[in-house]
Amino acid sequence: MAKRDVQQGTLALIVLKILEVLGPLHGYGIARRIEQISGKLLAVNQGTLYPVLLKLEQEGAVASEWGTSENNRRARFYRLTAGGRKQLRAQTQEWAQTTALMDRFITAKAEDLA
Amino acid sequence: MIIGEWIRRLGYLLRRRKWEDELRQEMDSHRAQMGAPPAFGNTLRLREEARDAWGWRWLDELAQDARFAWRTLRHSPGFTLTAIVTLALGIGVNIGMFSLINGLLLRPLYAGADDVFGVHSRSTMPSGRNRALSYPNYRDIREGTTDIFANLAASFTGFVGLDFGDGARSTYASAVTANYFQVFTAPPAYGRSFTAEEEQPGAGIRVAIISYSIWEEHGADPAMLGRHVRINGEQFTVVGVARKGFAGTSIPGPGVWLPLGAHETFSTEDGTRRTFGTREAPTLSVVGRLQPGMAAETAAPALATVGRRLEQAFPSINAGYSLAMSRPSGRLIFMPGGSGALTGVLLMLMPAIVLLVACLNLADLLLARGHGRRQELAIRSSLGGGRSRLVRQLLTEGFLLALTGGAVGLVVSTWATAKLVASLGPMLPVVVSLPDVGLDWRVFLGTVAFSLVATLIFSAGPALSLTRRAAAADLKRHAGDEGRGRAGAGIGNALVIGQIALSLLLLSSGGLFVTSVIRTAAADPGFRLDGGLVVVVDPALAGYDEARGRQAHLALLDRLRTVPGVEVVTIGSRPPFMSSGDSRKVAPFGFAQDEPAGADDSRSTSVGAVFSVVGRDYARVLGLPQLSGRDFRDAEMVPGSGERVAIIDDALAEKLWPGADALGRLIQFLDAKGPDARQPIRVIGIIPAVKHSPGNPQPYPHVYVPLGQHYESAMTLQLRVAGGVSEEDMLSTISRVVRDVDERLPVLSVATWRNHLNASSDVRLQATAAGVFSAFGGIALLLAGLGVYGVKSYVVSRRTREFGIRIAIGAHPRALLWQVLRDGGRTTTIGIGIGLLLALGAGQFLQGSLYGVNSIEPVVLVTAPLILLASSLLASYIPARRATKVDPMVALRSE
Repeated sequence: MAKRDVQQGTLALIVLKILEVLGPLHGYGIARRIEQISGKLLAVNQGTLYPVLLKLEQEGAVASEWGTSENNRRARFYRLTAGGRKQLRAQTQEWAQTTALMDRFITAKAEDLA
Repeated sequence: MIIGEWIRRLGYLLRRRKWEDELRQEMDSHRAQMGAPPAFGNTLRLREEARDAWGWRWLDELAQDARFAWRTLRHSPGFTLTAIVTLALGIGVNIGMFSLINGLLLRPLYAGADDVFGVHSRSTMPSGRNRALSYPNYRDIREGTTDIFANLAASFTGFVGLDFGDGARSTYASAVTANYFQVFTAPPAYGRSFTAEEEQPGAGIRVAIISYSIWEEHGADPAMLGRHVRINGEQFTVVGVARKGFAGTSIPGPGVWLPLGAHETFSTEDGTRRTFGTREAPTLSVVGRLQPGMAAETAAPALATVGRRLEQAFPSINAGYSLAMSRPSGRLIFMPGGSGALTGVLLMLMPAIVLLVACLNLADLLLARGHGRRQELAIRSSLGGGRSRLVRQLLTEGFLLALTGGAVGLVVSTWATAKLVASLGPMLPVVVSLPDVGLDWRVFLGTVAFSLVATLIFSAGPALSLTRRAAAADLKRHAGDEGRGRAGAGIGNALVIGQIALSLLLLSSGGLFVTSVIRTAAADPGFRLDGGLVVVVDPALAGYDEARGRQAHLALLDRLRTVPGVEVVTIGSRPPFMSSGDSRKVAPFGFAQDEPAGADDSRSTSVGAVFSVVGRDYARVLGLPQLSGRDFRDAEMVPGSGERVAIIDDALAEKLWPGADALGRLIQFLDAKGPDARQPIRVIGIIPAVKHSPGNPQPYPHVYVPLGQHYESAMTLQLRVAGGVSEEDMLSTISRVVRDVDERLPVLSVATWRNHLNASSDVRLQATAAGVFSAFGGIALLLAGLGVYGVKSYVVSRRTREFGIRIAIGAHPRALLWQVLRDGGRTTTIGIGIGLLLALGAGQFLQGSLYGVNSIEPVVLVTAPLILLASSLLASYIPARRATKVDPMVALRSE
């Protein structure tokens, strides 16, 4: 299976979910996790993460502060805010509905529609 | 949520460099950790995208556009300069007009105006009349309302003769309490306010504060403080100069303020002193500033309570009156009567038309220039510039031009407006404090608004039209090939037609006023103007009562008769041709005694006539023959001469007794009051009618009564100099003689007849309007000429190849010349046609303000179009000549 690009909206949801599960992370950490979880099925131009992060920060879904990473580098850590949690819940639900709907169409057989 | 987002955005805007640095560091650090295989993406592009998230892209783009516009404009200085000058003219005249309106109508009269209220004694009767307050009442109110008003001041206004040693001028004046300037939080700019001692009734301490504009008129002399001036003949010391533009509660405001204790300097019309200080003399207007935090709703009932207390304490004077608050009267705009107001409105509209012409002109220039930039626009749009972005860029360029033009216009017009207002001061019949028309934030805002409106008018059209075309077509084409199509030329021509039509409107309006001024100057007033001099005096302004005033009048008459070179002297309450005049309803005596009030005028037997008090020799001075009867006698120059007599003019005689001889008959004044009412007056002489005012060509009925039988303080001595003597040379002699007769006598004017007429407000208004309209017309003409030149040059340059081919195959250059001129002529003719219709309409409107001019004035309606046609042909001729000079070889090779 070919590697896929990730659409921006989806990427935002992925980022929010990762931050919810793993707590505060820096940009590189988030990128690593995405790679890890997707099992290299998802190829992200890792830089694409930053416009998404900044947009989330503008919206108030994440907040950031400077800190020191595990290998002693200065890094900016992003964490989920209360607003971000709400946004994540809403988007997860929306996503679940969309996939469920798509699923029904995709799995539809001729006899079901008769 | 939304607010939080905006705060974050603002945070970014203020510290963007830091934020962007941090983002770069973060990305760099990420890359460093990543190692080789996975891709990061284009850092620069990612940073751009990130910046979008911060939400200030439009600002960046605006800055980009402005920078680009600046570069573009700098590369074509000729175009830029033309555009800026055009806009500076168009916007400048509008700013000038706006500053005037701002100074007169918009600018608050004083700071914190919301807390300032007038206090009146109001009748509790249903009619609810307001009454002024007496000084003792005012003091009681002031002491009883200290919890309501932070300051409560009283004032009395009227006219005084103010003399800086160069002759007295009638001046609007106000006597005020010591705290008056505090109410408006406007202490004098220099010197001091009045003291409590100076305020006391009968104090008679003669100090004065003059207005800022009067101070400027007298050279803005720092030594003005302590200087002595004469007010109504008494010596006062200047102790202060009011703040610039300070006018109290009205515009225009007083030219001079006196302390209330010097109130008795004011005199009444008949020369008696005013009494002041008793509770029975309600003469004061009261105005106060509320205590901080005091609401008007709370203050009014509290004030009414104080009013009730006063009513009980002094029932004889205060019964039936309570106290009420209201906003002070505000602005008094002395607009000359109906037709003058219309002229005023038109004058205010004219600048807008000039700006419109300027914008049409510029739209044309931009369109022509834009076609030259087609290729550039095409390249930019093919590189991904969206249409809205291109339009925005072009609008930014336009706005940059407009703002620069506006700034230049602002500087020039501020200077010109200040000069104009300052020059008005000495011309006004009454000295007042002139409004401050200088810069304030409203004028700045106005400038930006004018620039914005102008930008939308002149650059929105071209921007939309230039970006419409498909890019590919323009890319393929050579720059300069073919040029704007038929449609493009059509728009250009329409713009030129508009400019010409509007210019013609302005030019012909100016022409009408110029014609009017010329006719006024040349008009036959019905009497001899040459060799005449006038001396206007007003003894009441020096505090003279009737007896002393009469003495002064007669002494002047006697003395002036003996001056060598003076042929004949008389005196009159109203020189002819001054439109303001006292009038009387005249009827035959013993007839229509009981004419019901409001009777139908056509059936009424009374005739409205200008009423004048005159001396002996009045007709002789004016060069009028005595038609019948006799002149007044010396005995009739002093009171108590027996039978009442009058001289009437033939216009009045004809109306009272058509076809019959009026001499020796009796008349009466139906509307006179006091001892004059309905007394029989014998007509002892008849003289020819004179005109009443320059604005009214019809001779108007006049009735003249002798000096001894009616007293008016303000009189005009009228002299005629002997043949061969120049009246200008006599002016200084006469001034000296008048001063020698009575040094204290306020002399309001010494002038030749002709100058005196030219100083009348009617003539002034005409001359000002003529000047302004002509200037606007001239500017519009210039702009229209430039517009025609621009379009024709453009058309010719675009058709170079065509002309080249035609010359190559044998066309005569003259034929080409004619063709270009004919095209230009057609546009101009259409413009003139439309302009003539507009001009006719405007003529109808203006007619009321014009003297002896019809709305259809052939001279103007022929001359103005001819001027336009000539300048338009000249403007086409230069490019047309260029067309004939085209070298076919060069033209063809340029392909």
